[in-house]
Amino acid sequence: MNNIFNFLANPSRFRIFAKNIYPFSLIIMLIFIFIGLWFGLFNSPPDYQQGETVRIMYVHVPAAWMAMIVYFSMTVMSIFSLVWRHPLADILAKCSAPIGAMFTLIALVTGSIWGKPTWGTWWVWDARLTSVFILFLIYMGHIVLVRAFEDEYKGARAGAILTLFGAFNLPIIKFSVDWWNTLHQPASVIKLNGPSIHNDMMVPLILMAFGFLFFYFSFLLINAQTELNHRKLKKLFIKQLNLN
Amino acid sequence: MKLFFKLVFRDIHIVIRGASDAGAAILFYLLAIIMFPLASGTDTNLLTTIAGGAIWMAALFASLLSLDRLFRSDFEDGSLEQIVLSGISLEIIVLSKCFAHWLTNGLPIVLLSPILSLIIGLDFQYWWILAVTLLLGTPSLTLIGATPAALSCAIGKGGVLTALVLLPLMLPVLILGSGAISAEISGLGGKGHIYALSAIFPISLLISPFLASRSIRLGWE
Repeated sequence: MNNIFNFLANPSRFRIFAKNIYPFSLIIMLIFIFIGLWFGLFNSPPDYQQGETVRIMYVHVPAAWMAMIVYFSMTVMSIFSLVWRHPLADILAKCSAPIGAMFTLIALVTGSIWGKPTWGTWWVWDARLTSVFILFLIYMGHIVLVRAFEDEYKGARAGAILTLFGAFNLPIIKFSVDWWNTLHQPASVIKLNGPSIHNDMMVPLILMAFGFLFFYFSFLLINAQTELNHRKLKKLFIKQLNLN
Repeated sequence: MKLFFKLVFRDIHIVIRGASDAGAAILFYLLAIIMFPLASGTDTNLLTTIAGGAIWMAALFASLLSLDRLFRSDFEDGSLEQIVLSGISLEIIVLSKCFAHWLTNGLPIVLLSPILSLIIGLDFQYWWILAVTLLLGTPSLTLIGATPAALSCAIGKGGVLTALVLLPLMLPVLILGSGAISAEISGLGGKGHIYALSAIFPISLLISPFLASRSIRLGWE
């Protein structure tokens, strides 16, 4: 395990690795999302209470999971970056933030589209919705903060500190439906005594969740490549200036 | 410990001599509260319901304004560096600065709150819960704000960016603080909110000195 981390710590080695892995990740993502969408839209029963609107869940729930998974992985990367000064962790955390913000936005928007016919309102300020909204704001703060520094190295450090600070929000999001009386329903898939959701609905949900996970991998890899290319370009530019 | 109080006294001295704009933040707090009745109409019933939230909002913005300058002047003229070179750990310095900031900014906010609650139309029987939530909340606001304030020093420019990073982190304090007041007014009892609010303080006391001093060091790298 340690060897892999050391091997990928070299940015140019990682660039080649990312270039080779990226197409596979993209293909897996497309397969999962297409099969998941087909199951979700055509091959799963409508809910006895919510009717057809339940199909929004197949996008909403995986997006909300990913919003938290991306932040969690950013937290791990931030620890790597602060403790071991891992150069790649900086880049990956920087590239994760926009993807995480997008997933959070998708979860918020689809949730409110689902909420209008089901709850009768676009938005309520209950604990789950508010904490996810705060997560979105923290993502945006991270994106702005990291790019505010002229020195990329300092920006990444600052972003890591902010990520660690904002990590308090993750348990609040997860347990908000248990700690407070919320309009949002409590967890039905990830809980101690097994999922309380029928298999016909579970299949598209899990497929979409994996699809979104590979979406994250694919876009993380391509974002990281862009970032590395950008830095290399900058170095070449400076070199050229020195030569002249 | 002696050095800690020496540092605190130094910061308070600076404030008293008027070299810092902590007094302006308190004035801003008063002004912001007066804005609420002027903006939302002087209907007493409406004012009673929004009073707690209005005072909390004003307190949050007042500390936000003054937090931007928590480390800035000492960081820019190099005195922070000199204090660190004298052998005191940066975490202690951060704590002393936060304590001084709370004494000059948080404490006046708490002390003024019963009078202001009269102006804005909060029932006088609820003044104590307003004071308790502010007493528990303002130290947390200062401590939570220390890290973004230090980060803004490291960037070299502050202002909007600090607010953008800071506000989402401060929201839980605001929610619990004003929630306690509205829960008490509605008859549910604000104790639950107050317990949660008082839990935030020790947690931020543990975490923020380390993250804030890490951020200051980032500016020196």
